[in-house]
Amino acid sequence: MIARYFGAAILAAVLMFALGLPLIHPVDPVAQSLMHALHPPSFESWLGYDHLGRSMAARLAAALRLSLGLAAATLLTTAVIGVALGALASWRGGWVDRAVTLFADSVVALPALLIVLMAGIILPNQPLAFWAGLSATLWVEIFRLTRATIRAQLAAPSVEAARLLGFGPFYIFRIHLWPELAPVLRATFALTFAAVVMGIAALGFVSVGVRAPTPELGLMMVELLPYWREAPWALLQPVLVTLATLLALTLIAGEKRT
Amino acid sequence: MIRALGWRLAQAGMVAFLVAISSFLMMRALPGDMVMRIAGARFGYDNITAENAELVRAQLGDPSGIGAFFGWFSGMLRGDLGNSLVSGMPVSAEIGHQLGATAQLAGGAIVLSLLIGPPLGIAAGLRPGGWFDRLTLLLAAALKATPQFLLGLVLIVLVSIALGLLPAAGHGAPQHLVLPALTLALGLAAATTRITREALVQARQSDWWRFARWKGLREDQVLLFHGLRHVAVPVLTLIAAQFVALMEGVVVVETIFGWPGIGHALVHAVFHRDVPMVQGTALMMGLAFVLVNACADIAARLLDPREARQ
Amino acid sequence: MSLLTVENLSVHSALQEMVAPISLQLDPGQAVTLIGETGSGKSLFAQALLGTLPTGLHAQGVLSLLGQQVAIDNPTAIEGLWGRAISVLPQEPWRALDPLMRAWGQVEEVYRLVARSDTPEKATRAVLNALDLGKAGDRFPFELSGGMAQRLAIAAARAGGAKIVIADEPSKGLDLARRDEVARRLRIVPETGGALLTITHDLELAEMLGGEIIVLREGQIVERGPAMQVLRAPQAPYTRKLIAAEPRHWPAPPAPHPGAPILTATGLTVARGGKVLFSGLDISLHAGEVVGLCGPSGVGKSSLGDTLLGLADPAAGQISRGAGLAPIRFQKLWQDPPAAFASHQRIGQGLADLMALHGIARDRLPPLLARLRLDPALLERLPTEVSGGELQRLAIVRALLLDPVMLFADEPSSRLDPLTQREVIGMLTDLARSQGIALLLVSHSPDLIAQATDRQVHLNENPGAPQAAATLQTA
Repeated sequence: MIARYFGAAILAAVLMFALGLPLIHPVDPVAQSLMHALHPPSFESWLGYDHLGRSMAARLAAALRLSLGLAAATLLTTAVIGVALGALASWRGGWVDRAVTLFADSVVALPALLIVLMAGIILPNQPLAFWAGLSATLWVEIFRLTRATIRAQLAAPSVEAARLLGFGPFYIFRIHLWPELAPVLRATFALTFAAVVMGIAALGFVSVGVRAPTPELGLMMVELLPYWREAPWALLQPVLVTLATLLALTLIAGEKRT
Repeated sequence: MIRALGWRLAQAGMVAFLVAISSFLMMRALPGDMVMRIAGARFGYDNITAENAELVRAQLGDPSGIGAFFGWFSGMLRGDLGNSLVSGMPVSAEIGHQLGATAQLAGGAIVLSLLIGPPLGIAAGLRPGGWFDRLTLLLAAALKATPQFLLGLVLIVLVSIALGLLPAAGHGAPQHLVLPALTLALGLAAATTRITREALVQARQSDWWRFARWKGLREDQVLLFHGLRHVAVPVLTLIAAQFVALMEGVVVVETIFGWPGIGHALVHAVFHRDVPMVQGTALMMGLAFVLVNACADIAARLLDPREARQ
Repeated sequence: MSLLTVENLSVHSALQEMVAPISLQLDPGQAVTLIGETGSGKSLFAQALLGTLPTGLHAQGVLSLLGQQVAIDNPTAIEGLWGRAISVLPQEPWRALDPLMRAWGQVEEVYRLVARSDTPEKATRAVLNALDLGKAGDRFPFELSGGMAQRLAIAAARAGGAKIVIADEPSKGLDLARRDEVARRLRIVPETGGALLTITHDLELAEMLGGEIIVLREGQIVERGPAMQVLRAPQAPYTRKLIAAEPRHWPAPPAPHPGAPILTATGLTVARGGKVLFSGLDISLHAGEVVGLCGPSGVGKSSLGDTLLGLADPAAGQISRGAGLAPIRFQKLWQDPPAAFASHQRIGQGLADLMALHGIARDRLPPLLARLRLDPALLERLPTEVSGGELQRLAIVRALLLDPVMLFADEPSSRLDPLTQREVIGMLTDLARSQGIALLLVSHSPDLIAQATDRQVHLNENPGAPQAAATLQTA
C-alpha cells in the first residue's frame, strides 16, 4: 500500500516536471547552440546541454510529454476496447466469445514492437504509428482479465441471486462485477502504460522509432551514448527518468495476483 | 487434446491472416506503382518484365482491391513469401539463414532463465515472507521495470567494457552468446521466479501437501516427489506465453548486440521498407509462438492428466 | 502401555484460553470421539496434538507417546512422529490425494520412504488388494470414485505403521452409505490393536464408533463418558440439545395441506454440458407444500431446481406456472450463504435497493427480521462479517420481501452446525406452510428430508442407461 503511494508520488513528480517546465523555462527543445555543447549542469541550466548544445531540461520534458501523452492515449483506447470486448464476450458467451477470444489469441502471437514497426510503414507519422500499433496489441491483456473476472462473477450465486431478485444488467455490473474488476484493471492499466513508455524508448534506442531531432527518451540515450565518458551526467538523465517512470508504474501496479 | 490442437491450428490461420492484411496495407502505403512492386517482390526487381507485370495485373485485377489482397494471401499460404525488395533473394531463403541464429539465442535465453528462475522461486517459496522472498520480489520488480535495451547496455558497460570479460558483439564463438542471452534471460527469469514461488506457496497450502506430510514424508521429500511436478505446469505455461515477449526482446537485443537473427533482419527490413521481408519475419515470429504454445499444451497434458480430460 | 497420554492439554492465544485443560488416555483397542460445533475447540485440540496450531496460538500440557514424553510446544518434535507414530485421516480425502500422482505411488512411497520396507511393492500390492483397489493402482485420483479415494487415503495414511489414528471430520461431505463405510473402516483401527481419536459433529458416526465421547462447547468439556451412556442418557442440557437437533429426532411434520398448484412440469428432460441428467420427469408443486428432493450427488438436483426457476432452459418438456404469478415470486436459497450476497455491499443496502426496485414499503422489513429472530444491527455489516446461520436467515428475509410463491432451497443447511441447521430448517418449513409457499428442499440427509418435508421426489442414477439417466419415484 505504501509502495503504491510512493509510486504515485514519483509519477506525479515526473508529470509535474514534464508539464510544468515549459511554463517556467520556455526553451525550444530542438534549438541548437554549439558553444554550449556538453555544458554540464550549472545554476543557469540545471540539467546542462547535450552534444549539440540543446537544453537537456527542455528535451527531457518534451520527450516525457511525448511518451506519457502517447501512453495516455493508448491506455484510453485499449481500456475502452478491452473492457468492452471482455464484457461482450463473457456476457454473450457462445460463438461471440469464441470468435473474440480467437482473435485476441492471434493478435497476442505477434510481438507488439513488430506491429508498431509495421504500423510505422503504413501510417504517415511515427507518433500515430505508436498509438495505433500499441493500441492494436495491448488491448488483449485488458480484454482477457476483464473476460476472466466477469465470467467468474457471472457464474457466482450472488449474480444468480441478483437476477432472480429482478435486478438489471447495469445494477449487476455496478454492484457485483465492478468491485471485483476494478483492482484487477488498476494493475493492468499501470502495466499497459509502462509497456507503452518502454516500447517507445526501445524502438527509439534501436533507431526505428521517433526520428531525430524530435526529443525521445530512447533516442536521446543512443545519441548521448558516444559521449558517455566525457558527459556521463548527460547519458544518465534520460536513463534515470525512464527508470523512475517505469518504477513508479510498477509500484502502482503492485504484485500481480495469480 | 484434439480440441486444443484444433484451436492452435485456427490460431495459426488467424495469425497468417493478420500478417497478410498488415503486409498488404504496408505494400499499399509504399510510394510508386502497386503492380510493379508486387511483381518485383514476386520475381525479383531485376526480373521484372512486361509479361511478369501483366501476369500479376491479370491475377490481381484492381491492385488496391480485395482481389489483390486474396492473391497476396493465397501466395503466402502456398509458402510463396516473395523476394526481398533489397537483395532480390527469396525471403524464405534469407529467413532460413537467420532463423537458426535466433533459435540459438532464444534457446540459450530460455535455458539460462530456467537455471536462474525456478531455483530462486523455490528458495523464496519455501520461506514466504522471509528476507529472501522479499529480496527476490524486489529484484523481480526492478527487472520488470528495466527496459531490456538498458539491461543490455548495462551488461555491455559492466562486463565487456569495464571488466573486459566477454565480447560485446559478434556471432560464432560460444562466448558471444552469453551477454545477449543473459539480457533476454533476466527478464524471463524475473517472471519464472515469481510464478514458481506462487505455485509452490499454493502447493504447500494445499490439502495434498499437508496429507503427504502426515503420511510421514519429510518436507524435502514432498517437494521432490510431489511439489516439483505441480510447479512445472504453471512455469511451462508461463514460458510459452512469454515467448512473444521473448521475440520482442529478440528484436531489440539482436540489434544492440549485432546478432544476425530475424530480429536484426526485421529492423533492417523496416529501415529499408522491405515489405516482403517484414512479412516473412512477422509470419515466422507469429507461427513460432503458436508452435511453442502447442508444444506447451501437449507437455502440460502429459504433466497434468486432468488437463487432458477437459 | 498406553499409546497416547494427554495431561491437561490446553490452548491459549495471547489474550485468552481457547481450550480449557483436557486429559485423556488412549490404550490399544480404544476409541475416543470429540464432539462439538464450530468454535467448540475440538479442532484446536487436534491441531495441538499434531503440532499444527495456527501461529499465535500455543499449547500447554504434557503429551506422551508410547511412554515417551514429547515437547508439546515444539512442532518439529511432533512432526517427526507423523506417519510413524500418529497417522492422520484427512477430511475430504479426494482433496488430500496428490492429483498428479497415480494411486499406486501415493501408497508405495510411504512404505519405501517412511516405513523403510524392504519390499514396498509387495506391501503396496497387498494393501491395495485388501482394500479392493487392486485394479486401481495406475489410476489418477480424479479417475477414482469417492469411496475408492477414501480407501486409498486410508491405505496411504496408515502405511507408515502408526498405531494411533486421528480422524478429522471423516464424514464431512459424505452421503449415508459412504459414511457407514468410513465408520466400518475406522472401527478396524481399535479392533486391530490401534487407538482411534475422532473429531466430528456427527453424532451418528460417534455412535457407530463407540468408545468414549467427550462433548466440547466453547473450549470447555460439557460431558464425557462411554458413547452409549452419553448419547442415550445425556446429563448436560447442551448434550440433550445437540441430540435433539439431529434430524432423526425432530418432531414429525404437521399433516400436509397442499393448496393451489403453483408450478407443473411434464416430460422434463434436463441436460448439463451436453449430457442428459434425467428425462421424462413429471413434477408439480402446490402452495404451502414442502417437497423434499433427494438423490446421490451429481444426479442433477440443482439443475432440476434451476430449470424450474427458469435459470436454465430444459432440454425438453413443458413447465407451466400458475396464472398471474410474477417471475420474481419464484426464489432460491443457496448452499453457501456468503456466496449469495454481493461481497462488497452492506446487507442493509442490498435489501434497501431491492425494496426500492420493486416499490416495497420499507416498514415490511422490521417485522420480517423479528420473525426470523435477526438483530437489525446486522444490516450494517458486510456478508463476511455475519455468521452462516444469520446470513441464511437474511437470505430468507430477502426472498420473503418479494412474497414468493415458490422457494427452491438447494442444501440450505449443509454448511451449518446442527443446532443452527435445526433452527433454519424449522423456520423455513414453518414459513412455507403458514404463508402458502411451495418449498422444494434439497438435502443429502435422508433423515432431514423425512422429518421436514411432506413428500419426496427421488432422482436416482439408473446404471443400466448409457448416460446416467434418472428415474422418478414419488412417495
